Amino acid sequence: MESDIISNLALGFSTAVSPINLFYCFIGVLVGTLIGVLPGIGPVAAVAMLLPLTFNLDAVGAIIMLSGIYYGTQYGGSTTAILVNLPGESASVVTCMDGYAMARIGRAGPALAIAAIGSFFAGTVGTILVALLGPPLAEIALKFGAPEYFSLMVMALIAAAVLAHGSMLKTICMIVLGLLVGIVGTDVNSGMSRFTFGASGLADGLSFVVIAMGLFGFAEILCNLQDKADTASRDILNQKITGLMPTVVDMKAAFGAICRGTAIGAFFGTLPGGGPTISAFSAYAVEKKLAKDPSRFGKGAIEGVAAPESANNAAVQCAFITTLTLGIPHGATMALLLGALTIQGIAPGPQVMTQRPDLFWGLIASMWIGNAMLVILNLPLVGLWIKLLKVPYRFLYPAIMVFMAIGVYSVNNLDLDIYMTIFFGILGYIFIKLKCEPAPLILAFVLGPLMEENLRRALLISRGDPTVFITRPISAAFLIATALLLAFMIVPSFRKKREEAVADSEAL
Amino acid sequence: MKAKYKMKTLLAGVAALAVTAVPVTVLAQAPAYPTKPIRLVVAFPAGGSTDIIARLVAQRLGEKLGQQVIVDNRGGAGGTIGTEIAARAAPDGHTLTMGTTSTHVIAPAAYAKVNYDPVKDFEPITLVASTPYLLVLHPGVKANNLKEFIALAKSQPGKLNYASAGTGSTTQLAMEMLNRAAGIDMVHVPYGGNGPAGAATLGGQVQALFGSMPAVLPHAQAGRLRPIAVGTAQRSPALPNVPTVAESGFPGFEVSLWLGFFAPKGTPKPILTRLQKELTDIAGNAEMKAQFEKNGASAVTNTPAEMTALMKTELEKYGKVIKAAGIQLK
Repeated sequence: MESDIISNLALGFSTAVSPINLFYCFIGVLVGTLIGVLPGIGPVAAVAMLLPLTFNLDAVGAIIMLSGIYYGTQYGGSTTAILVNLPGESASVVTCMDGYAMARIGRAGPALAIAAIGSFFAGTVGTILVALLGPPLAEIALKFGAPEYFSLMVMALIAAAVLAHGSMLKTICMIVLGLLVGIVGTDVNSGMSRFTFGASGLADGLSFVVIAMGLFGFAEILCNLQDKADTASRDILNQKITGLMPTVVDMKAAFGAICRGTAIGAFFGTLPGGGPTISAFSAYAVEKKLAKDPSRFGKGAIEGVAAPESANNAAVQCAFITTLTLGIPHGATMALLLGALTIQGIAPGPQVMTQRPDLFWGLIASMWIGNAMLVILNLPLVGLWIKLLKVPYRFLYPAIMVFMAIGVYSVNNLDLDIYMTIFFGILGYIFIKLKCEPAPLILAFVLGPLMEENLRRALLISRGDPTVFITRPISAAFLIATALLLAFMIVPSFRKKREEAVADSEAL
Repeated sequence: MKAKYKMKTLLAGVAALAVTAVPVTVLAQAPAYPTKPIRLVVAFPAGGSTDIIARLVAQRLGEKLGQQVIVDNRGGAGGTIGTEIAARAAPDGHTLTMGTTSTHVIAPAAYAKVNYDPVKDFEPITLVASTPYLLVLHPGVKANNLKEFIALAKSQPGKLNYASAGTGSTTQLAMEMLNRAAGIDMVHVPYGGNGPAGAATLGGQVQALFGSMPAVLPHAQAGRLRPIAVGTAQRSPALPNVPTVAESGFPGFEVSLWLGFFAPKGTPKPILTRLQKELTDIAGNAEMKAQFEKNGASAVTNTPAEMTALMKTELEKYGKVIKAAGIQLK
């Protein structure tokens, strides 16, 4: 078995390091990074746009290049999340919280660097996992039916409450609002439209990009512009840049976070559906719970960048497991990659590994090479990105708005999406004024529809019997974990209240 | 790469000109066509099965016409958004659409309101491909053929579940037709596409799936899913030992997904004739046939009149199932 893995990896590396494939990998990563830093263009849009470029390549080259584009955009998305508070896709919403906070206190360099280092570490572990345990892990993923997914989503939503920095009540309101916004669109079971107001552009629901660009990017710009004070104070950077690279202290603080983030990402990433997003949110929640001083989070804690970025990338790598071994896509980007394989005349499925070992193992080897290239490419670029922050705000914000509009439009070629972005921008501005954080809303928006779909599917299969959630062991385990999480959250706040009460009475 | 491609297009264009040089005199009054790149509206996202077939044909068609054919993915709302865009486009032959059973039969029959008429708003050109559906079971189900499966379903009414690619999808309608024809009662569990529906059947969450051939064939070949019948009139060359539903006791049963080219109503006749000729050539090409087969589809061509007749028959056939199963999309 072990010698098999070694000979397989040897085959993989011999395929991947051929000069032409290295070149495709590099081009993919480079183009991906460049497109990923454009606000509003996430991995799905980038892969869809660039898919035709690979039609003339051979199958191995095409899939290596597309995977490179995928990692590249993913990383590019984190770059904009850190620099200008614009998440490229749902998983980077978490990176915004502490990444952007770090940028505002002059520590964008360490934030970007730790994101690259954490991603590389997670990517390496993810690659090893795919190589060693791909097929058995895929079998476990198949054991996940509707009840398991539902219980997993419940756990993730409860964990979202931990993300809040301020009032618990406001967080719950935002989660509920996110669930409601997620309902917009066609109901999977009955085919009925909900809250679409007759607009066919809303039939498939609101797009993540619209909401993220509105609530984060647009609202942030509105907020910056309302300051009538001198224009200089609007600049993102209001403090001196302190160092481009993380310090030893940073590395020490981030190391544990990277390891935990990687483990969480590897776990959730294997499951089709919601992988990277749930991973990033969970990793952040875990770090915040473990931290000696949780109040640092949201104000530029380096663990708050390292953990979700590592988790996200580990999940992305592990997403290839079900895609490659079972031919089951993990989301829109993976579906596009499978489409690319099909165009090349390869039917994705369990037989790819035996019929085209060069492709399968070549891709695995190129995953690692792609991750290494990302670090090599991005560490020197950190300095360049930082310079971007020095661009006066009056030049930066119109540029960001134009790119946001292009990005939003390019997802579905629908002008309605641009109007919706403006709507959510204004809503986001109101949220900032009310001190309501948008991150829990976005998580609920992403998970809500999946949760509803799986709840109804589970009850449909069990013929309406709700005990299915506690009689299936994996589902029961998630629900027990949820109960524990709730207990952890509620008990300290009770204790705190009691202490406050005691202190008050003593003061009297 | 790009230069080479352009060169090829150019050469193909010259060749096409040479071939059409004679009829040009006959069609002296006809406007020059095409005068600019052609937009092919695909009402589904890039990378899906309709998109793949569209792109394969688009590249060849571009070479033959001497103008690029650009695939414009306008997905959403079960393909009705993109199809409506194509219906409203200028009828000058520079906008075409890849219509399918979903966009031109099922959506108009199942949705409460669709802003186009599949027959009145389009000029059918020709079919290019058809994708079969395959009835597969989770290997744990104790039935080796359709007869045994129906007996099993009858012995436990309302107990078996089947997956579909979504409410109102062909995968649901195929199974509902079987439910009615065989007098059995399986419960419909919709998933978000052929991939997730296949995964649920692989994992044994549901017992059966009438899945699209490209999605389920690899698993059937690997022995992870048990194929018991194909929905086409003839057996599939990919699985010659698997009988059709029709020969398993349901004569006349036929479900497949066809894909064909349409132009907006009013597109000039000479342009339609030209396109029909080129597309028929493309679908008849041996290399193209092989590429279709790799994607689980087979090449099919017909005439505009046959396409209209096909749509009318299918609108009636699926309309009945949709009504009987109480499916209404809004």
